[in-house]
Parts: sequence; C-alpha cells; structure tokens
Amino acid sequence: MSTDTDRFARFRPRWNELDWQLIRTGAQAPELHMALDEVLTYEVGSGHRKPTLRIWEWASNAVILGRFQSVRNEVDPDGAARHDITVMRRITGGGAMFIEPQNAITYSIYAPDSLVRGLSFIDSYAFMDEWVIQGLRSLGVEAEYVPINDISSTAGKIGGAAQTRRGGAVLHHVTMAYDMDPAKMLEVLRIGREKLSDKGSVSANKRVAPLRQQTQLPRQVVIDRLVETFADLRGLTGGELTTDELTRAEALAKEKFLSDEWRYLLP
Amino acid sequence: MPLHGEFKQPGGKLVVVDLELRDGYLAEVHVSGDFFLEPPEALDDIVAALTGTPVDASEDDLATRIDEALAPDAMLIGFDARGVGKAVRRAVTDGSPRERL
Repeated sequence: MSTDTDRFARFRPRWNELDWQLIRTGAQAPELHMALDEVLTYEVGSGHRKPTLRIWEWASNAVILGRFQSVRNEVDPDGAARHDITVMRRITGGGAMFIEPQNAITYSIYAPDSLVRGLSFIDSYAFMDEWVIQGLRSLGVEAEYVPINDISSTAGKIGGAAQTRRGGAVLHHVTMAYDMDPAKMLEVLRIGREKLSDKGSVSANKRVAPLRQQTQLPRQVVIDRLVETFADLRGLTGGELTTDELTRAEALAKEKFLSDEWRYLLP
Repeated sequence: MPLHGEFKQPGGKLVVVDLELRDGYLAEVHVSGDFFLEPPEALDDIVAALTGTPVDASEDDLATRIDEALAPDAMLIGFDARGVGKAVRRAVTDGSPRERL
C-alpha cells in the first residue's frame, strides 16, 4: 500500500470484522436500483441484513442525477428523448451519470456506519474504495483515488463514487465507465464551462478513460476480478435479496423514484 | 427574468444558483449542484437563508446568513457557504440566462 493509504491502517481491520454478503442478480430497472439502495441501507443499518456488496446490472439506458442536481441544468431533453433515456434521481449527492447497460460497471456497498467512524467524509470515500483500486491495478490499470470521489488513472477518469450515511449505515456506490460513446453522452448531458474550470480541458470526453480501452477485457471479466479482489481482501459470501426486500423496493421504486415529485425535486 | 450563477471551488464541487429579483430582494431561489450535503434537508435551510435577502448583500453577508441558518450537524462536502455566496453574486451581477458551452 502506498503512503497515501497508510493513514487508513488502523481503520482497515474493521472490514474483516464484518461478515460480507454478495448480491449479484440479473438486469434490473434503474428505478429499482435506486430503491434497493435506499431499502438495503436501512436494512443494514438496523441489523436486519449483513453488510453487503451489490453488483448492479442495468436493464435500460438512464441518466442518474445526484440528489441535489437540477434536471434542467444537467439534461438535454431532446438528447434524452432521442436516446431513450430515463432520468432518475438517486439519494446521494454528486454528479450525473450517463448509463448504457453494457457500458457501466456499478456497485453499492452497505455497511454499518461504524466502518467509517472517525474518518472524515472525504477520507471515507477513498477508504471504501481501496479494494477496487487494488482490483483495477491487478488488471494493469494505473488506478488511483482523486479526492473527493473520483477513481482515476494516468489515462483519465474512470468513475465516481457517492456516499451517504443514514439509519446507522453508510451507503457507498460507484459507477465506472467500462465503455462510452462520448458523442452520445454530450448530446444527453449538459456540461457547463464552470464545471470544467479546474479540469484543464473543455472537452468532457477527453477526461474519461473507459476500462475496456485500458484492459481489453470483457466487461464481466473485469467485474469478476473486482469481486474476487473484494472476496480476497475482505471475505465475501454469496447471498440474495429477500422477498421482503424486493417487494419493498419495488413499491418504493414506483411510489418514489418514478414519481415526478422526486425526479423533478430540483427542476 | 430568472438569473443563473455558478461557482466551482477548485478541487471541489459545482454550486448552481437560479433566482429572481423581486423589489430588490432575492426570490424564487434554487440551489443545485454536484456537491454532497448531509442531511439532505439542509438544502432547504440554505435556500431559506437566501430568500428575501437584499440584492446588494455581499458574499460575506450571504455566507454568514447561510452558516447561521444551518444546523450544527449539517455537513457541506465539496463546497461551503462562501461558495454559495459567490454563485449568488455571479447570478446577480452577470447572470443572465444560462451560459452553456
């Protein structure tokens, strides 16, 4: 481990005191993913569910806005309609993600908030993703964490994390670019000048370095390696969603995450 | 006419302010961006602190109002009250319609 991560030395053993479960299902609708994150965070916080790593598979295209983003400021409505994009809002802050099912690698970690106790919000981002940096490096990607919440490499940005602490749990989720269509992304997302003011470039697509280009490996092979890395470092047992969790998430997806009131919370 | 201002702290997150001026005061204030904020409801306190503020309030005044309105446990991550104040000043001074690439 580099000196950059040594400050986590006394916190790192906490991972291995937890009994980690893996959830990896078939493709699910964007609104169900949003709802599962909310339901599973509270389930872990209340102790009903063990700490969990969930690997996502997407059933359709989507733009996932951060909790505090304005639809109008981030999404081009014509581009979104043209490319069959559903606009969703997640419960965590951070920036918009442009999702095409086979281009994204997404996961969530749900843990008791004792895992990150004593760490600042900013440090807890890098702490929650140390394993993924290690997994990417094992694939030959020169990955590093760029605070606050970027997973990056010498070739460019790979992905971003978002986090929230509630109900006694921490939710940490990440989307990485496996592949991307920069032209399509720029038709769908509005990237403003101020946003890029400290990036040294006004070209959004120059900043992204998808994992396909960096590894030349199939998407599932990359995901498998990341899961193996988590299992090796932290321990991981196969698990599944309970009927109750799924039923509640389906109801929440419909009542909250598909509602205009939530999606256009900040119009 | 709606006014729009943005500010991004170097290494931090974007803060976007959309507002209108009504009789010399800030109205219809919306604050958005790719920042992190806990608890999320603290956004309502930020908006309430800005709404009804005189249009000539300085960045300092705005930051103080926001800090005073926030609960002690509120956590602003990737931005701060002063950054919101800067975005408001930009909206008020040169913020005409949304400037986009």
